[in-house]
Amino acid sequence: MKKGNKLRVGLVALASVGLVAGILAPAQGARNTIVFHETNPLTGFNTGQKNMNLTANTAVSYMSGIGFGYFDDKGIYIDNTIFGTQTASGSGSKFKIKYTVAPGRVFSDGTPITAANLLFSHVTRSNAYAIAAGLGDPKSATASAFDAAGYSSVWDLFVSGDPVLSSDKMSMTVSFKGKFADWKLYAPGASAVHAMVHIADGKTSLQPVAANVDATADFEKAFFDKDTAFLKKLATVYNTAYKITTVTASTNPLLFVGNGGYIVTGAVDKQSVTMKKNTRYNSGPAFKGDIDTVVFRYITDGTAASQALSNGELDVYQGQVTADALAALKKISSVKVVGTGAAIYEHFDTRLGKNSNDPKQPEYEGPFAAKFGAKSKALRQAFLMCVPRQEIVDKLIKPFEPSATVLGSTFTLPGSDIYDSVVRSNGSKFYSGTQEQLNQRARALIKKFAPEVTVAKPLKIKIQVPGNNERRANQFALAKANMAKCGFDLVGDVQAAWSPRIGFTEYDAVFFAYVQGSNAQAGSAANFKLGGANNRMGVNIPELTALMDSLSTPMSRTVLAQKFISAERIIHDQGITVGVFQHPQVTAVNKDLSGIKPAVYSPTLVWNWWEWSY
Amino acid sequence: MLAYVIRRLGILFLILFGSSFILYNLAAISGDPIGELRFSDDPGAAQAIIDLTRQLSLDVPPPLRYFIWLKGVVGIFWGKADFGLTRDSLSVATEIGNAIPVSIRLVFVATFVAIVIGIAIGIASALRQYSRFDYSMTFFAFLLFSLPIFWVAVLLKQYMAIQFNNFLSEPKIPFGWLLTLSSLTAVFWASVLTRSRGKFWMTFSTVFISTAVLIKTLETLEWFTNPRLGPIAVFIFSIVIAFAVTHLSVGLSNRTALNSSLTMSVFTLGWYFAIQPIFNSQISLLQILGLGVVVILVATITALFFSRIDRGPLIRTTVLTALLSAFLIVVDKYMRTWSSYMSEDAVNYRPVPTFGQSKPLLPQEDYWIRTLDILVHLLLPTIALTLISLAGYVRFSRGTLLEVLNQDYIRTARAKGLTERTVIMRHAFRNTLIPLTTILVADVVGIIGGAIITERVFGWYGMGTLFNRAISTVDLNLLMGVFFITATLAVLANLIADLLYSALDPRIRAGSGK
Repeated sequence: MKKGNKLRVGLVALASVGLVAGILAPAQGARNTIVFHETNPLTGFNTGQKNMNLTANTAVSYMSGIGFGYFDDKGIYIDNTIFGTQTASGSGSKFKIKYTVAPGRVFSDGTPITAANLLFSHVTRSNAYAIAAGLGDPKSATASAFDAAGYSSVWDLFVSGDPVLSSDKMSMTVSFKGKFADWKLYAPGASAVHAMVHIADGKTSLQPVAANVDATADFEKAFFDKDTAFLKKLATVYNTAYKITTVTASTNPLLFVGNGGYIVTGAVDKQSVTMKKNTRYNSGPAFKGDIDTVVFRYITDGTAASQALSNGELDVYQGQVTADALAALKKISSVKVVGTGAAIYEHFDTRLGKNSNDPKQPEYEGPFAAKFGAKSKALRQAFLMCVPRQEIVDKLIKPFEPSATVLGSTFTLPGSDIYDSVVRSNGSKFYSGTQEQLNQRARALIKKFAPEVTVAKPLKIKIQVPGNNERRANQFALAKANMAKCGFDLVGDVQAAWSPRIGFTEYDAVFFAYVQGSNAQAGSAANFKLGGANNRMGVNIPELTALMDSLSTPMSRTVLAQKFISAERIIHDQGITVGVFQHPQVTAVNKDLSGIKPAVYSPTLVWNWWEWSY
Repeated sequence: MLAYVIRRLGILFLILFGSSFILYNLAAISGDPIGELRFSDDPGAAQAIIDLTRQLSLDVPPPLRYFIWLKGVVGIFWGKADFGLTRDSLSVATEIGNAIPVSIRLVFVATFVAIVIGIAIGIASALRQYSRFDYSMTFFAFLLFSLPIFWVAVLLKQYMAIQFNNFLSEPKIPFGWLLTLSSLTAVFWASVLTRSRGKFWMTFSTVFISTAVLIKTLETLEWFTNPRLGPIAVFIFSIVIAFAVTHLSVGLSNRTALNSSLTMSVFTLGWYFAIQPIFNSQISLLQILGLGVVVILVATITALFFSRIDRGPLIRTTVLTALLSAFLIVVDKYMRTWSSYMSEDAVNYRPVPTFGQSKPLLPQEDYWIRTLDILVHLLLPTIALTLISLAGYVRFSRGTLLEVLNQDYIRTARAKGLTERTVIMRHAFRNTLIPLTTILVADVVGIIGGAIITERVFGWYGMGTLFNRAISTVDLNLLMGVFFITATLAVLANLIADLLYSALDPRIRAGSGK
């Protein structure tokens, strides 16, 4: 055989072996992609902007940047010392926080992170800085050049003067007018300012590290010089460049420079967002698994999402489902179902008076009015006792969440670290017992304080029923039936546009749900203090207002629990409100995937992206 | 005529103005755009309410606010239309601009398929009026008509996506399914093709056996995981097409037309081999359409070569045969792409999706894989929409054809001694199409309006979803934007349909009847 022929035969043999090997080799490697379901589509990549604080947007931005800390699934704030530390010093008007970035932290383009990257959040959060830098007054009609949602908020209320950088540029010290509650929550994040500067200069590709360091220095100089023209150029980028929903290979990569674990690489309008692992990530906890790609897909319809899950098109699904849909989810063999309550709680309120924020409303003269003293207080208590809370939970909520219980607190939700201790002594026992016992106690109260009211001659109570909602209609029907046994004739007024009408004094009672946005201390304060934005039932109890005001100073969780207990004792004693149930929510996860721990508060599903693995 | 059009356009503006004013105010009092913010304990909520009030002019009462909106929209006449911003401060015009192509993609194919199949079935059942076939088609038409689409969608997803994907992982057809599929096919063809009972059972058994054998053979050849037609099947189908098209358009007695069409079948076989290297290289939709034009040109030249007299019908027949045969080659290419599509990581051997427009992680380099992905995503929504909209076309074309067949001119045509084929296809069918055009125009324009429920259950973000979102979030600008587009098109469609009607039917003249 000639040499050439041998070579040919050898090549053919090799090719055949390769072919056979190709056929025999497993068709798929280990999976390294997670596909998440989100209900509403992404609207933009800058969540600091007004109207951009949606779940879909927050999830993406949370994963592409990490700062001084985060909330875990119990709602507890965890310090991220790998990125840096925040140290508080002084008290009163001397209160200061020093934010120090750990050395060696880098963005996804390799640029080192310094305290200069922390300065930017001051520009978009301090009204005083915006005015001083000639950007405009956020509170006036002209508004700031930056279309930011952070103005006029907690940071702005407490900050005094501008931040100061240390000589090594690794820490930033900020002075405050006083110590404020949850101060760790308001820590500035690391903004990739160099990328914004480059975009403002018309650059459309990633720049070398040296150029990035220069750009950061330019921003730092402009920040301290209050260079209006320079900042306004950045404002244009901030306001417009990130408002995109389609990302392709030709999209400017400077938009997606971040220090988080995943960086946006693609997006299809209203359909999906694709994020890839940031290989330079070193700003937070190390990756436990090998998840290379994270995809968010947007499906509004719950049934569609659960069928997509059973077809293997999704790995994680979360939503408020019907009982049938839940049963269907549980039947999917490739999926495990994790039930979690949403941070939404249903409650019944009684009206004590006129809503102080709405001067146009007539005075409230109904049976629950606080000005009628002990009689109205007893009627309020009796009314709340006769809300068949256990029955509502059993009939309307248990089909979804077998472990659901009647809510005992309106300040904390089950799953919170202090819920149990608050419920134990907040006076909620006054409203517990079997419904038969409660009805009897309610009748006794009515007999003593309002003898003219009997089951045969019931007291008319007008209640607003939120429309377009089957569950609320059922709730009203159950409540009406039981109220009749106590001597209340519940008259429902069904309103589709119910929310602006809650404060109307024509209603003696209302029921609806509040969304608890975070585990922050002062969360529900606005509901019960005089002049509070959400105080629509005319609650005017000086003791309660004082308690609510005291919530804005920092305190330990135990002290906070004590404050909640004192406040809820008053609320329960006065018969102002009772919680009924936490809105049920279901999370279904691909069985092979571990590390998904749904949290109650935003960013619910993605808070621990570094822990995910197959 | 011109005066008539101008008068109609004037009325159009009045209708649009009146209806938009009413809708704007109804929508404005139906909900509270900042309701959700009132219940947020977010410290920024108060500022957000102020901002939103400013952005959407919520402090102006709705009847007056309408004119702020109208002022922006009227800008359309000097090229500066302003449809305002959505609640999320996105441009309404951009949102609608993104949604219209999605709706068109979703509904266009379904409408087209429903029209073709619907008219075909309608005509077939009209020709066999009061037969078993006619009754069963009427039954199925009404059955499908009455199905709610969200339910059809759920079933389709369960059986044609989830279960079918499971089936593909081990493509073995159970005996029961084999019997069911074969007998359904056999019943269908036997009812379409035969009129007497004896012939029915004859055809039934032939089709039953051949279908069962075919399915079993395909299964053994692992055709379901690796489907293809191949040159021989393409050639055979092409000959069938040549015969069928010739039969329907000019009749098989026209030998020249048959020969010309059969020549195209031979050409198709040649094209099959010539085209493969082109298909396998980088190719775009434009190039494929270009190849289609080449096919039309070649077919026309061939027809001219064959024809001596009466060229028009001959060219039409040949071009139709050539295009349908060429389409088979494209179908074959897609079938060959199937197995490599299935083995993509993003597909992971579960090719039929239940939602969305495309798979985000699929590599976009290969034209065939990319477009196949779009096609499989279209599959279920198209079937669902076709099923429910089929009935209208079936009933309408059946009724119209029956009415036409009772006309004097049909009797005259028969009396002249014309063949039944000529009477049906040339005299009756064409007149049937005139009333159909009017509903076609309305339906095609309706495509832009989207399909609210279908879009929602299949996760498509078209006009329907936009409309739904606008209502549920009380987003007035968005709602009015969608309404403006769909209402304008609907009113225009009416006008076009009227004009078209008078153009097609000389007995009617637009504007003459006051």
